[in-house]
Amino acid sequence: MKIRFSLARLAALFRKRRMDRELQGEILAHLEMAERDAIAAGLSREEARRLARRGFGGIEQMKEDHREQRSVRWMENLSRDVRYGMASLARDPAFAAITVGLLALGIGANTAMFSIVDAVLLKPLPFPEPERMVRVVETPTPTQRNNTTTLTFLDWKRQTDIFDALSVESVTRAAVESDGNPARLTGKLVSADYFDVFDVKPVSGRTFALGEDQPGAAMVVVISHALWQSMFAGDPGILNRELKLDGVSHKIIGVLPSGSFDRDEAVFWKPRIFTPEQMNRGQHVWEVVGRLRAGVSLGQAQAKMYILRARLDKELANFKDWGFAVEPFGKVLVGDTLRRSIYLAFGAVVIVMLIACANVANLVLAKGATRQKEMALRASLGASRGRLIGQLLAESLVLCVLGGVAGVALAYVLLRAAAPLVAESLPFTADLSLDVRVLGFGALAVMTVLVLTGLLPSLQTSFGKLSNALNQTSRGSSGSRAAMRRTIVIGEVAASVVLIAGAALLFKSLEKLQHVDAGVRIDHLITMSADLPASAYPTPESAARFYHAVVQRLRLVPGVEQASVTQRLPLQGAAWGEYLTLPGANEPLLVQVKMIDPGYFDTFGIPVKSGRGIEERDRAGAPPVMVINQEVARDLLGKFNFANPVGRMVGIDVAGYGPIPESHRDVQIVGMIRSERTGGLNAPVRSAVYVPFAQAPQQDINLVVRTQIDPLSLLSGIREAVRQVDPHLPLGNVKTMEQVKQQSMLWAKQPTWVVGAFAGVAALMAALGLYGVLANAVTQQRREIGIRMALGARPGDVVSHTLRSAFAMLLVGLAAGLAGSFAITRALKSLLFEVSALDPVALALACVLMTLVGILASLIPASRAAGVDPMTVLREEG
Amino acid sequence: MSEHKTDVPYGTLDLLILKTLDTMGPMHGYRIARRIEQVAENLLRLNQGSIYPALIRLEEQGWIRTQWGISETKRKVKFYSLTRAGAKQLSVEVRNWERATALVARFLEAES
Repeated sequence: MKIRFSLARLAALFRKRRMDRELQGEILAHLEMAERDAIAAGLSREEARRLARRGFGGIEQMKEDHREQRSVRWMENLSRDVRYGMASLARDPAFAAITVGLLALGIGANTAMFSIVDAVLLKPLPFPEPERMVRVVETPTPTQRNNTTTLTFLDWKRQTDIFDALSVESVTRAAVESDGNPARLTGKLVSADYFDVFDVKPVSGRTFALGEDQPGAAMVVVISHALWQSMFAGDPGILNRELKLDGVSHKIIGVLPSGSFDRDEAVFWKPRIFTPEQMNRGQHVWEVVGRLRAGVSLGQAQAKMYILRARLDKELANFKDWGFAVEPFGKVLVGDTLRRSIYLAFGAVVIVMLIACANVANLVLAKGATRQKEMALRASLGASRGRLIGQLLAESLVLCVLGGVAGVALAYVLLRAAAPLVAESLPFTADLSLDVRVLGFGALAVMTVLVLTGLLPSLQTSFGKLSNALNQTSRGSSGSRAAMRRTIVIGEVAASVVLIAGAALLFKSLEKLQHVDAGVRIDHLITMSADLPASAYPTPESAARFYHAVVQRLRLVPGVEQASVTQRLPLQGAAWGEYLTLPGANEPLLVQVKMIDPGYFDTFGIPVKSGRGIEERDRAGAPPVMVINQEVARDLLGKFNFANPVGRMVGIDVAGYGPIPESHRDVQIVGMIRSERTGGLNAPVRSAVYVPFAQAPQQDINLVVRTQIDPLSLLSGIREAVRQVDPHLPLGNVKTMEQVKQQSMLWAKQPTWVVGAFAGVAALMAALGLYGVLANAVTQQRREIGIRMALGARPGDVVSHTLRSAFAMLLVGLAAGLAGSFAITRALKSLLFEVSALDPVALALACVLMTLVGILASLIPASRAAGVDPMTVLREEG
Repeated sequence: MSEHKTDVPYGTLDLLILKTLDTMGPMHGYRIARRIEQVAENLLRLNQGSIYPALIRLEEQGWIRTQWGISETKRKVKFYSLTRAGAKQLSVEVRNWERATALVARFLEAES
C-alpha cells in the first residue's frame, strides 16, 4: 500500500529540492546585485543591504507562492497529459488495444498467481497467534514423520510448561438420518482441548469441557456452522437438539463460527475417549496438534521434548532410534512440493509479465519513432525535456491503468475458473480471493510495468537530437533506438528460452512418470469407494459377508471379468504401516499393510511369484495368513538372513473393526507376489504385506471391477449390482484406474502444464517482438532494398539478408537463454523425476522450438522485403 | 516611498514580464525587475521578489525558457527568454489588455 504513492512522491521530492535550491540561488544573486547597484548610487553598505531587502519584499511569502505555482502546474500538466494521452491512444486504437491486451495478460496472470501465493504461502493461518500452532510427531529417522501412541501422547500432554493445549485428531465418519434419507457425515475425534489449539470460540454454546474426553463422559458433539445451516436450517434453538450419529444420540453443545472450520470436510467434532486397550506404546495411530505456551519458542519446545525423549528411553526401548519433533502447523499444511510448484508458477508468470512489458516497450519505441517530429516541434515551442518525458509517461500511465483494470478483471475471471481446479491441491485454510492485499499487489504490478514500459522509451525519445529530427525528412528511427529494440527482443527470446527449457524438462519428467510400470494393470478397471455404516454392519463378520456377496454379484454383471474388494487402491498408499516381528530377530521390520480379498491379485494382474495368493479359504477363524511382496522378501534376506520366507511364521498387529482394538497375531507367510507400486509412481517400491480382508475387515473399502469393454459404459449395471446387495450403501469416488493414476501424478502435472502454458505465451510474445522489429526494419530499408535489387540482388538475397538479421538476434537470445536456464532450472530439480535439470535433449529441444518460432515470425517481413519493387520505391523517394 | 505609487494591476505582471523580455532579449530576474521599475518611472510599487513566482508560472506554461548564465556579481543565475509560444501569447495578452482598457475608458467617458 505504501509503495503505491512513494514513486510519485519520490519524483516530486527530488524536483522540489532542486527547484528550491535554484530559487535560493536566484534570490541571493538578486539581492547581491541590488546591493551593488545601491552602493554604486552612493549608499553605505548597511543602507544598501536594507534597501535591497525592502525592494525585494517578503522572501518566505514569495517562496511559498513560488512553490504553489509549481505544484499547481505540475498537477495541471499531469491532467492535461493524461487527457492528451487518451486522445492520442484513441487516434491509434489498434496500438492501444494490443498494448492494453498485453498488459492485461501480464498483470492479470500475475495478480491471479499472487492471490494463490498469498492465500497459501503468505497469509498466516486464520487463527490467533498462528506461530504458536504446532504438530508434534515421532521421528523414526530424522527425515521421517510418524504418528504417536496413546501413552506417549499422554506424556507429551503433561508437559504444561511447553504446551497450552495438545490434542489428538483423527477423521471419522458416521451415518445420520437427514429428512428421512441416509447420509454420511465426516467428523473428527479430538481431545477436549482441541479448540484451544486453534483458539476458536463457538458462536453459540460451548466447546468441550475438561474431562469430556474421559471414559464415562456424556455423549456430546460440536457441529460446524455449515452443518448447522444445512441440516438444522440455522435453528436458534440448536443447543436443545440432538444429533444421532450411527444411531446414537449426541447432545449438541456448540456451533463453530463459519469460515476456516467450514473449508475442511469435517462437520462435527466428538471427544476421543481412549479405551483401556489403547493404553500402550505400540500402536502409532495418533496425529497430534498443539498450541505452544505463550513465550515458548519452537526451539525451546524442541529442546524440552528432546529431554523428555531421553527420560523415556526405558519405556520406548522398542523404538530406541525414534525421536520427538515439534513442527510449525503451517509448514505441515503446505507440503514442500506444493510450495515449490507455486513458486515455480509464480516465477513463470513473472517472466511472462516481463516479456509482455518488453513487447509494450518495443511497441512504444516503434511508435515513438514516428512521433519524433511531433516531439521536436513541441520542444522548439518551449516544452522542456522534463515536460516531454512527463507527457510520454502520462501516455504510458493511461495504458498501464487501462491494462491494470483489465488485468484485475482477468485475474478475477481466472481465479473463478481455476478455484475448483486448484482447490484440490490447496490446504483447507487457503482462501482464494481478490482482497486488498491482492489488489495492492496488482497496483504494484502496474507501477512496475509503468516504469518498465514508460521510462525507457521516454528517455530514448527525448534524448534524441530534437532539432535534427525537425530538419531531416525523417526516415524513422535513429540507430540507438533500433539497437535498443533489438536488445529488448534478444531479452525476450532469452526469457522465453528459459521458460521453454523449464517446460521441456517438466514434460520430459512427466513423460517418464507416465511410463513407470505401476506393477498393476491400469486399463479396463473401474473403482469406487464405500464406507460400511456401523449401524448396518456392526460386526466384522457382517462386513466380511458383504465383501463376499458384493463380489459374487458383481461378477454376474455382463461384461465384467473380475471384481475385488480392497482397502486401498494401488498408487494411493497403504492405510498404515506395521512392524513384522521375526522369531529369533531382535529388530522388527517396518512394512505397509494392505487388506485385500481373494480377487485382488487377479483383478489387477499381479502375478504370484511363489506360494499362493489370498484364497477363499482364508476366512475368519481359518489360520491367519499373509502374502508378501518381493521387497519384503529382499529385506528379510538382506537384513535378517531369512531365506525362503514362504511358509514361515511372523508376528504382526492387525487392525480391529470399528471400536474393536487391534490384536497381535502370529501369521503364516503363504506366498510372494511381484511388487506393485503402493505409493506414488515416483516413490520407490515399498515393502508391503497383504492380509486377507475376511480376517481383518474394515468399514472403509474400495470396489474394483475389471471389464471387457469400456468400464464406464458398465457403470449403471455395476451400481445396480451393488444396490441389490445393499440398497442403502452410497458409492463415492467413481473413477477408472486410469483416472486414479492421473490423479496420483497431479503434483507433477499441474506445474508442468502451468509452466508449459506460460512458455507458449512467452514464445508467442517473443515472436511478436521479433516480427515487430524485423517488419519495422524492412519498412525503413525499403529504399536500400530497392537500390540493391536495382543493382542486381535477387529476392533470395534480400530474404536471406532479413533472415540473417533475425538469426543474429535469435542466436544471441538463445545463448543468453541457455545461460539463464543453467542458472535457474536447478530450482526445478525437486519436481523432476529421473530427468537431470541440465538434460541436453530438453535444452536442445527448447532451442529448436524457439528457433522455429523465430523463423516463422521473420518469414512475413522477409517475404515482404523480397516483394519490394525497385522502380516504385526509387520513384516515390525521388 | 512616494504616495503616488500604485500596486501592480492585477494580472498584468505576466504581461509586463513578457513585454520586457520581448524588447530586451534574454535577461535574469533582477534585471527584469529593475527594467519594469525603470519603465514605470517609480510610479509602480513592485515587490521585486514577486516576479519569481510569475517567472516559474510562465516557464511552466512554455512561454519563456531558461538558460544558465553568469550574473554581474559572478554568480550562476537563470537567464529568461521568450519562446515562440511566448511571443504569440504576448500579442494575445496585449490585444486583451487593449480591449479591456478601451472598454473601461469608453465606460468612464459615457458615465461622465
